[in-house]
Amino acid sequence: MTARTDTASFRREADLAAPVGRFLRNRAFHLQSSELPFYEYRMDMYGYSERDDLTVAVELKLTRWSRALEQALLYQLCSDLVYVAMPRGQAQRLNSTVFKLHGVGLLAVEEGRCRELVPAVPSPLVKNHYRLAYLAMLGKGDVDVA
Amino acid sequence: MSPEPPEVIIRVGSHAEKEYVLKLKDYLDGLIVGANLFEAAPGATASLLLAAGAKTAKLYIDPMTYAFGEYIDPDTGKVRNDLDWIKSDQIPKGQPGKKRASREKTTIREFKRSYRALAETIGWPLNEAVQKSAAVTPDLVRQAARIKIFSGSVVDYQLRRLQREFEEDEELKDFIDDMPKPAAVFAPYFYVEPTNTDAWLDVNLRLMQATAALGAAVPIHGVLCADVRHLADAGVRQRLLEAVPQTGVSGVWLWFSGFFEESASREVLTAYRGLVEGLATRIEVRAMHGGFFGLTLSKFGMRGVSHGIGYGEQKDVVPVIGQSTPTVRYYLPPIARRLGVPEIERAFDALGIKTPDDFHKKVCGCAVCKGVISTSLDQFASFGDMHFSRPTAQRLAQTPAAAKRCRFHFLLSRLGERDWVRKLSVKELATRLEQGAGTWGVQPTLKSSTAHLMRWVSVLLS
Repeated sequence: MTARTDTASFRREADLAAPVGRFLRNRAFHLQSSELPFYEYRMDMYGYSERDDLTVAVELKLTRWSRALEQALLYQLCSDLVYVAMPRGQAQRLNSTVFKLHGVGLLAVEEGRCRELVPAVPSPLVKNHYRLAYLAMLGKGDVDVA
Repeated sequence: MSPEPPEVIIRVGSHAEKEYVLKLKDYLDGLIVGANLFEAAPGATASLLLAAGAKTAKLYIDPMTYAFGEYIDPDTGKVRNDLDWIKSDQIPKGQPGKKRASREKTTIREFKRSYRALAETIGWPLNEAVQKSAAVTPDLVRQAARIKIFSGSVVDYQLRRLQREFEEDEELKDFIDDMPKPAAVFAPYFYVEPTNTDAWLDVNLRLMQATAALGAAVPIHGVLCADVRHLADAGVRQRLLEAVPQTGVSGVWLWFSGFFEESASREVLTAYRGLVEGLATRIEVRAMHGGFFGLTLSKFGMRGVSHGIGYGEQKDVVPVIGQSTPTVRYYLPPIARRLGVPEIERAFDALGIKTPDDFHKKVCGCAVCKGVISTSLDQFASFGDMHFSRPTAQRLAQTPAAAKRCRFHFLLSRLGERDWVRKLSVKELATRLEQGAGTWGVQPTLKSSTAHLMRWVSVLLS
């Protein structure tokens, strides 16, 4: 499949959500929410694994991977793991070195499934005050996020 | 006695900014108030200026005559002469009780009350523009006798409008001896619309000349309200360098619509520096809407910089209408630029900023930052606090308290910058900017926001 037809099969970023959601559930991120605000941004997906006590944020993008990476770097402040998810053709074409350098994971999405091209590394930058607030939003903990 | 350059002159944009002005009044070099603000609430503006002690700080009243000229529609890029940007949708008189849905159907597009009042007070040609609902044109220049009257009215407005308010207001009357007086008055001015540069430049130069010739007891300043494209035009620059001082004004305030210090190319910044440097050998030069780069140009003759309280270091002639209230971002002093909280916070670890003390040493040690970030670095987040401003709001917006923190921090930082710019040499300024680029500029979330630093260094050292 070429990058062009690959992107065309996902017409909206939201189309990437279902396969990515399944991928996250397979990794035990059973608590999931979408469109959580982080300052002026909105995290497309945010999840929590009770098994591993890890949070995950995912930025979905059809194109413009550098913009996705910029946002992902910010989400490292509020999530243990951060991924960028893109259509497979797009994800395979980009230079993944910079993702590895910053510990941001990269997911390649194709119809119905999702493959991890670069694993996310637990963020050393995560701030507990943000993380706890998102856990509360997911219904975990008793942190007042108001 | 005039303060040492650069001066920081704060533009009061609304009465909601009163608190900032009053708290910082002893540290500001001056205040500038738009005539439209004055006409919107004359008593409140007069009392604000009295309370701000503008008798000692320099006061300027911007006559805002450009608002009645031609402008470029920011949406279409086309020249407009319908004055629409100083109009608003208004409910016709006699229908105030109607329900909202019904009111919306019956609103009419009318001149804002403040601009209408300004036009009526100043008279020709502004009142004629309002009557015809059509902008003043460059043909103005052909009416020499009336130009003299227009200039006189605009000077009179700046010198007497405030006095009249004090005389007529029962509560202010007793304070007339303490009434602030303008440090200088502006000649009327219009935007030099780029498709008709020569004609509009002629108009502005004639207005400066006519106003200077009035022989007022206070200094006369001109405003060069042009376009960033003019900065890039060597012919226009040369004409300005020769013609502006010849008009007889003792000062000029530069305002190039579309000129943004942070994004301007090296060529444009160099042209700006050259213009400041050239004009400053003969008259005082200030930036009407300037920022940190403007402050550094004090080493080349820039007398001072004016800007708003939360933003306004760069301003287009016609503001973009209909945008939601912008977030007041945190001003990051080492790179002299505003950025979002997470972009900055993401860099702390790599820069060894782990405690409040580190923050105060490496980022900002102003009173606001010391107060907000007192026990934990996590408190930095409160500069970006968000909330749903209405029960029906779909998106988060910055809380008023966070916006206030950012504004106060910005103003204190700016005053601090003014003080150290006064002390440092050009080389030392360049070194500080280089340090900002070398530390903050290499952080992955800030890299794309710091390219201006080395451009500024290059222009300052050229």
